[in-house]
Amino acid sequence: MMVAAYGVAANKSSSAPNKAYKKVGTLRAVLDTIDFLDPQQAYTGQSWWAMWNVYETLLTYKHVDGPAGYQLVPGLAQSMPKISSNGRVYKFTLRPGLKYSNGKKVQASDFKWAIKRGFLATGQGVGFYTDIAGAKAFAAHPTKGGNISGIVVNNKKRTITVKLTKPRGDFLTILALLFAAPVPGSTSTQILNGKIPGTGPYRFSSFDANRGFTMVRNKYFKPTKYIPRGNPDKVDVSFVSDANSATQRVINGQADYSNGAIPPDRIANAKSKGHLVLRDAANTYYFWMNTREAPFNKLKVRQAVNYAIDRSALNRIVWGGLGRATQNVLPPTYPSYTKLKLYSHNVSKAKQLINQAGAKGAKVTVWTRQVSDAIDAAQYYTSVLNNIGLDAKLNILPRATYYSTIGNVATHAQTGWARWLEDYPHPLDWFDVLLNGNRITNTDNNNYAWYSSAKTNKEIEGLKKAQVLTPAVNKRWATVEKQIMQQAPWAPWSNRVFPEFFSKKMGCIHIQRLYGVDLMRLCRK
Amino acid sequence: MAEPATDLTFDSAALLASEEHEVTIVGRSPWYLAWRRLRRNYLALASLGLFFVIVIACALAPVYAHHVAHTGPNDVHVGEKVRVDGKLKDVIGGGSFYDVNTGKFVVKAPTYLGPTWWHAHGRFVLGTDNLGRDVAVRVLYGGRNSLMIGIGSALICTFVALTLALLAGYYRGGCDWLISRFFDIIWAFPVLLLAIAISSALAINGFHHFGINIEPGSLWLPTLVISYVLIPYIGRPIRGQILSLREKEFIEAAIGQGAGPLRVMFSDLLPNVVSTVLVFFTLIIAANILTEAGLSYLGAGVRLPDPSWGNLIASGQDQIETAPWLSLIPGIAIVLTVLSLNIFGDGLRDALDPRAKVRIER
Repeated sequence: MMVAAYGVAANKSSSAPNKAYKKVGTLRAVLDTIDFLDPQQAYTGQSWWAMWNVYETLLTYKHVDGPAGYQLVPGLAQSMPKISSNGRVYKFTLRPGLKYSNGKKVQASDFKWAIKRGFLATGQGVGFYTDIAGAKAFAAHPTKGGNISGIVVNNKKRTITVKLTKPRGDFLTILALLFAAPVPGSTSTQILNGKIPGTGPYRFSSFDANRGFTMVRNKYFKPTKYIPRGNPDKVDVSFVSDANSATQRVINGQADYSNGAIPPDRIANAKSKGHLVLRDAANTYYFWMNTREAPFNKLKVRQAVNYAIDRSALNRIVWGGLGRATQNVLPPTYPSYTKLKLYSHNVSKAKQLINQAGAKGAKVTVWTRQVSDAIDAAQYYTSVLNNIGLDAKLNILPRATYYSTIGNVATHAQTGWARWLEDYPHPLDWFDVLLNGNRITNTDNNNYAWYSSAKTNKEIEGLKKAQVLTPAVNKRWATVEKQIMQQAPWAPWSNRVFPEFFSKKMGCIHIQRLYGVDLMRLCRK
Repeated sequence: MAEPATDLTFDSAALLASEEHEVTIVGRSPWYLAWRRLRRNYLALASLGLFFVIVIACALAPVYAHHVAHTGPNDVHVGEKVRVDGKLKDVIGGGSFYDVNTGKFVVKAPTYLGPTWWHAHGRFVLGTDNLGRDVAVRVLYGGRNSLMIGIGSALICTFVALTLALLAGYYRGGCDWLISRFFDIIWAFPVLLLAIAISSALAINGFHHFGINIEPGSLWLPTLVISYVLIPYIGRPIRGQILSLREKEFIEAAIGQGAGPLRVMFSDLLPNVVSTVLVFFTLIIAANILTEAGLSYLGAGVRLPDPSWGNLIASGQDQIETAPWLSLIPGIAIVLTVLSLNIFGDGLRDALDPRAKVRIER
């Protein structure tokens, strides 16, 4: 049996970006899937992995390994913005001479169009920008000629001023999201996968929804201190949904890199036939319990579930052990993270709590989506619920409709599987989106536990104003997390590490903490 | 000139035979003749025997689970050990883990307990799956579900198809047109695609119409979906036969003597197609088991964690290199069941009507 010791790549000490250009030629990558290649629409890690190298935002992240990858740096902006003392006004100036990949000049007004375009096209990220003054009014009646009063631009001076209705500590990270990448003012509001010119080192040269896409160099791109010129001349990306086939392609030399989840029992074999790198992405896998629905409206039942789950065993079942057992909402890559040890595995105690709550025999439907790891986890969870005295059955929904179904109040979903991968590195992306009762909506709700506590809601709202994550702020976030987990709306169980698989010919493998494998720095041996 | 009427009847033939050759001709019913032909077809009988063995084994799944394997079909045994030939073995062993001392992951493939072949006192006879569940128990329960759906949907499908075919064939005209278009609409869709579409639509809330309440996850859903999508595959050929029979003199005679529609349909038409229906019924069970396997394989049939042969194959797919038995065993079970039914169905067809060409074309 193959045994190998691996450090998680993202935990390596930070290394400076390669300044020397290394010839790669064509990089052949395999992705399992993407959703869109349109900056105002894409909302999957796979899409962002590619698009980060095509579309630049006002602020961006360094191409480095380790925690430094979370540091915001100027992207299209000349420098970091000036922020007013009340934390509500942000002033940017664009770099001079910026051009899109079609040769057209980048205007300050393009940023405003990108935000408007998101609202006009009901982009997946519009919820992040509703605190911009005038955005809610625009969202209510979106028209091309309409205005978002909180965004003031001057094309001559290349300045962009963004005014918020209330201070938001995570707003800079929100501006660094690809949803806010400027696009030419002439871009239509239709979804235009791979057709919108960007300002990054690469441009999309082809896109086929069933086969893949190609990226080539953007001849108008000029490297900056933080955004280097990429090593590959061309990136050919193929879609292969079957993880076994994707892995085999790399082993056979038909691809240089695959991001497909290698089946647990193939992982040791794959390691001997290529480079296996474990990527420590910020994620939490959890079971949510709807605090409004019986029997999970009782604290003891929710606590019982937390005691009943053997988190280590579950990690072993679902992805062969490539995950850390956790009881936290936040992943350990966050400075606010403080390891929680509230619920040790204790089935007897769990059964006792169920009896005390009078919930024995209560009918429960466990919801999950049609993806093998989610199904495995939910099957285990269903078995655990039955073992502690509940009467549980499983309901598996198609991947595409899962989250909208469980996030609909009319579904009355009791409990189920979910995961959260960070959009941007800030605790607000977790607590505000997933557990702030003030943000519960009747449809497309992300707070699947429908958890609302006046105390924690107030604390989250207060923490939104903190502009910098100081040790004191981090401590307050840790307190919020503990308060929430004492109420047990979730049973978190894993911070997964993702195996990234490269052919033996590949070298210079670097992991950017937010965007994953840094394709610009890849090289051949 | 009219030909003289012959006086030769069965009775007179028997009389002649007994007088001239001193032998007795005994009248035999078509069913007796069919049985005589069938019992000479040893392969068909052996297939029927095999099918019964499979049915009985699957029907006894709860007995096996309770008294032999001591576990249920959905019970997870992660972290447990089992004694095999006196040695303690992990149900699921190996696997990667995070070494807190080194801050590194140790990468190891997980190992699953393989078939113990009765060396573990009846536990995990056919090994374990990736959740530590007893494969033998799941295969038997899976067979129970697959067979219940296969036979149940064949009964419903045959009943509905036969009723529609009788109505269309007897009344002809507008009624026939309406029923034929209904068949055409279903026929226009590929079976699996139509079944997946209906199953997906019913997956969230089940079926709650016309006073019928079926919860999502119920076995009734795949049963009804499969019976619905296969209706024209039986209905159309039987309708053709009935249309042809409807033109025969004996039907006209019955109508002329005042027989009502129900009498003609059930006393005159039905007995003439019953042999075809029987053969179809046998073959459609096999087809339904395959459809169910396909649906469950694609996640639109029997709802996990409840097993069926189809979803067991799908679940074992990721472990095909290290634990091939997970997919192989239910696969073999499907092959044996379908093969036995098809061989028996062919034998039954030969026995009932050696000249008939009854086939389910999809």
